[in-house]
Amino acid sequence: MRNELFLLSILAMAASPAGATLGGSAESVVADQSNLHAKRAVVERRGYTVHEISRDDGTLIREYVTPAGKVFGVSWTGPTIPDLAQLLGPYNTEFQNTLRSKSARRKVAVVRNPDLVVESAGHSRAFHGRAYLNSMLPGGVTEDAVK
Amino acid sequence: MRLVRWRQSATAVLLMSLAACSAGSGSGRIGSGVTTTPPPAVNNVQPVVMDYGPIVNGQSVGVNNSLYTTVTICVPGTITCQSIDHVLVDTGSTGLRIPASLVMLSVPYLVDTGNNPIGNCVQYADTTYQWGPLVKVDVQMAGEVASAVPIQIISPTNFAAAPASCSAGGTPAQTVADLGANGILGVGLFRQDCGSACATSAPPAVYFSCPTTGCITASVPLASQLQNPVWMFPQDNNGLAIILPQVGAAGSVSLAGSMIFGIGTQSNNGLVGAQAQGADSGGDFTTTFNGIAHSGSFIDSGSSGYFFLDSSTTGLPDCAANSHANGFYCPASPVSFSAINSGPNPKGTGVPISINVAFSIANALPLIDSPSVVFNNIGGPNSGSFDWGIPFFLGRTVFVGIEGQASPAGTGPYWAY
Repeated sequence: MRNELFLLSILAMAASPAGATLGGSAESVVADQSNLHAKRAVVERRGYTVHEISRDDGTLIREYVTPAGKVFGVSWTGPTIPDLAQLLGPYNTEFQNTLRSKSARRKVAVVRNPDLVVESAGHSRAFHGRAYLNSMLPGGVTEDAVK
Repeated sequence: MRLVRWRQSATAVLLMSLAACSAGSGSGRIGSGVTTTPPPAVNNVQPVVMDYGPIVNGQSVGVNNSLYTTVTICVPGTITCQSIDHVLVDTGSTGLRIPASLVMLSVPYLVDTGNNPIGNCVQYADTTYQWGPLVKVDVQMAGEVASAVPIQIISPTNFAAAPASCSAGGTPAQTVADLGANGILGVGLFRQDCGSACATSAPPAVYFSCPTTGCITASVPLASQLQNPVWMFPQDNNGLAIILPQVGAAGSVSLAGSMIFGIGTQSNNGLVGAQAQGADSGGDFTTTFNGIAHSGSFIDSGSSGYFFLDSSTTGLPDCAANSHANGFYCPASPVSFSAINSGPNPKGTGVPISINVAFSIANALPLIDSPSVVFNNIGGPNSGSFDWGIPFFLGRTVFVGIEGQASPAGTGPYWAY
């Protein structure tokens, strides 16, 4: 039951305009990577692709892409929280609005809306989190893929 | 050197008269045959409290599971000081941060080599952030004084607005009402908020150089970064212990405890039976639950509950998404758990240290709706790891071993309990 792993490429990209990510097209991953001044590795999994973006400061961002080229999930781990407005794109507004409507102070930020799920946890120097869209999970792929 | 620095502070001299009786002192030995008498032990016991919190517009903010203390800040080297109550004690961050509206001292903003003010951004897991310049103050707690400590003034009106990389995607928590506190005292495992990462490079959204034309990300030397005041004390500076009593299953409306500075430096801060487990460079360790190891776990007095794993792993139902207990677990009746925390021995030798921890999770909704604000049994989901929040501290003595500081348990960063 091993997943097939193919390390396709490790690239270093020049700066280019930022793009949307969660829910956006795979091209936006490249834009995101370049905006983050980072290196990228692409890993093929059964039923989806993972773009791993390693930032100089040690932050690792993963973007999960459907066979149709759409970003269905993102995750992060590292010393700082990535720019969620950039990483979640238009869904960050829904995330923040849902958080604001709760007593969300000083705990793990969890939003489980019908489609959008976001979790943000950790502490100074060590953060982690993930987000995904239920409606865009590829067939046979569960939320556990996004980690 | 330390003695000289100590005596330079007039306030400190005053406080020395209040110092607890000298303990574990006697004669120290320098070189061969030369003896000197160490300074009398200072009062290292700082009261802490969990209660309804600071008052805003005539009403307590009433935030659950908040640990507070009173911090005195002074213009460096003077006795011009102010005390600020209900500052949140946070072992999950580093440095003192006070809303500008509360700061009455007149102290200049710290500038970089280009003579531009330094801006600092801190972001938290709940996606709130604080932004503002740094100033140097003397920080007093109990009888301890840290001199000329860089602290953050949160969002003064005469300072640049938060850069987009700090504010984008998050929510400001810069007022007393939004903070649920009159500031944050970060007394975690580290000496500085960012450390070498910000001294050697300029990570996004931490430090900024702020000329009038606008703030840009910048690297900042270690000494100019936000500091954990405890490691800057002349003594009792290798860590601290937080001691809180236990509460019943219904919680409590208030709780008084203490924060003791130093580890094994006086008669009142020995490890006794506590075991020490090291943390990694990010402050994390491994928690094993039902035989599965979860790296990325941590202890954090600034987290309001036990946040661990998820509903399917724990069997605990999530509270309704539309309830104000959203983000917590709401089991029909309390459920007991145990887990094992492990990390390297801070002495650098031997096998990893493993410590068994038992805890219980009750239905958060009726507890949060009750008059109580101190709970040892609320928790919520945190996929893939454990966040041992303030409930972990209740009924325990928890030692915070600061990075690079030697102690009888070894060298920090470590936790001991």
